[in-house]
Amino acid sequence: MSRSKTGSVVQALNDVSFKLESGDRLGLVGTNGAGKTTLLKVLYGIYEPTHGEVDVVGRTDALFNINLGFRKEASGRRNIVLRGLINGWDMSQINERMEKIIEFSELGDFIDLPLKTYSQGMAARLAFSVATSLDPEILLMDEWIGAGDPEFQAKAKNRMEHLAERAGIIVLASHNHLLLQRTCNKILELESGKLKAFQEAEEWFDAHGIAGES
Amino acid sequence: MLTIFRNAFSDIAAGLRMRRVWAALAAEDIGDQHRRTWLGPIWILLNYLAHVLTFVVIFQRGKGVEDFPTYVSVGMLVWMYISGVITSSARLFIKEESLITGTKLPITVYVMRLTMESLIKSGYMALGCLAIVLWSGTSIEIGWLWSLAAICLIVAITPAVIIIVAIAGTYLPDLQFVIGNVMRIGLFATPIFWAPGGSNARTALYKYNPFTYFLEIVRLPIMKGIEPVNSLAICAITGVTVWLIALFLLGKFRRQIIFTL
Repeated sequence: MSRSKTGSVVQALNDVSFKLESGDRLGLVGTNGAGKTTLLKVLYGIYEPTHGEVDVVGRTDALFNINLGFRKEASGRRNIVLRGLINGWDMSQINERMEKIIEFSELGDFIDLPLKTYSQGMAARLAFSVATSLDPEILLMDEWIGAGDPEFQAKAKNRMEHLAERAGIIVLASHNHLLLQRTCNKILELESGKLKAFQEAEEWFDAHGIAGES
Repeated sequence: MLTIFRNAFSDIAAGLRMRRVWAALAAEDIGDQHRRTWLGPIWILLNYLAHVLTFVVIFQRGKGVEDFPTYVSVGMLVWMYISGVITSSARLFIKEESLITGTKLPITVYVMRLTMESLIKSGYMALGCLAIVLWSGTSIEIGWLWSLAAICLIVAITPAVIIIVAIAGTYLPDLQFVIGNVMRIGLFATPIFWAPGGSNARTALYKYNPFTYFLEIVRLPIMKGIEPVNSLAICAITGVTVWLIALFLLGKFRRQIIFTL
């Protein structure tokens, strides 16, 4: 719930109830402003519901804004530490993941130079490598993320698929129906902050006349 | 009411567990502010010295004050810390919007980040202060421990002040301008470079300005070897009151802050 400058109250989500179990891959659909990102943020714990409750069992990680917290004056290595700390990792976890992150990002010696010297693609590779170097039980995503040049994108795609396979539960907000069809077994549709549908993905796609992936 | 205080304590406990986050971010903030400068954070020290020297050399209002340089340097150290903390607090959550709306870090992390940043800055200023005090002939005495205790008390109250001002500043964006003006006036209305006595107005200002006591608990033991028990008691009572208000506000608003940004 948010109060606008005029004092009126905006209710971003209302009457949304659902339950997910281990193995579920939920696709969140709805038009822009329907409440998908808000729901993800409620599930992650950034927003606390003003009414009702959220019961989440398991280690939850989110891939929302992967550039969050990056500082352009600090080196790539320092940014990995800072981002790790913000993610709630301790120093031993950061040190443990450091070399793998650097290796995956393909930054080589650039890792010790300030982020501001990186090209856009390099910065995106670093952000992607840090953000996806986690091992969540519940993974929340606002759009499927990818980064860098075509070669790195193929690598990123594999990493995302591997991450999705390992996670117990995935909640993915996306407008890409093909991706949702390929990834999700359930669909939750939001309309103006209200739950319009929560059903098996196959049923939802059939009801909307969207053919299966050939 | 109990739930409100429990919420506040759980946020503080979670924030303190994440001390590496706020310590690292505070160090980065200081570094970023002086990046690419020749002198780096030494500018904090030079800025402080410039203020002190201006008041000592130009104003020369220290008639009747023994060891005026020490009087001004200690007073200015405490004042710059307090005024820096209060001024920065008013926009704290607005400045941290991207992290607040993108992560689930406890509010205490942002509060401690500013506390830490203010302490690091004051550390540089304290070097200048110590140099002036020693240069002016004041010798280190055991009574300085009272000043140390006073500094610890001020530091202990700092997060509470930040919580109150930051929450108020989030709901009342105009507050930052009010505070800016109050702090500018406070520089002259607080006995940093003037002493009580003379006009009645000045004596009243000395007595009723709450900042006076926070300056004097640090300054009196160094200047006169006095144990400022009364002033310490006033500051301690103020500290407890401020903390109770801060805990209430933190417990009540910590989850609502995000909706106002």
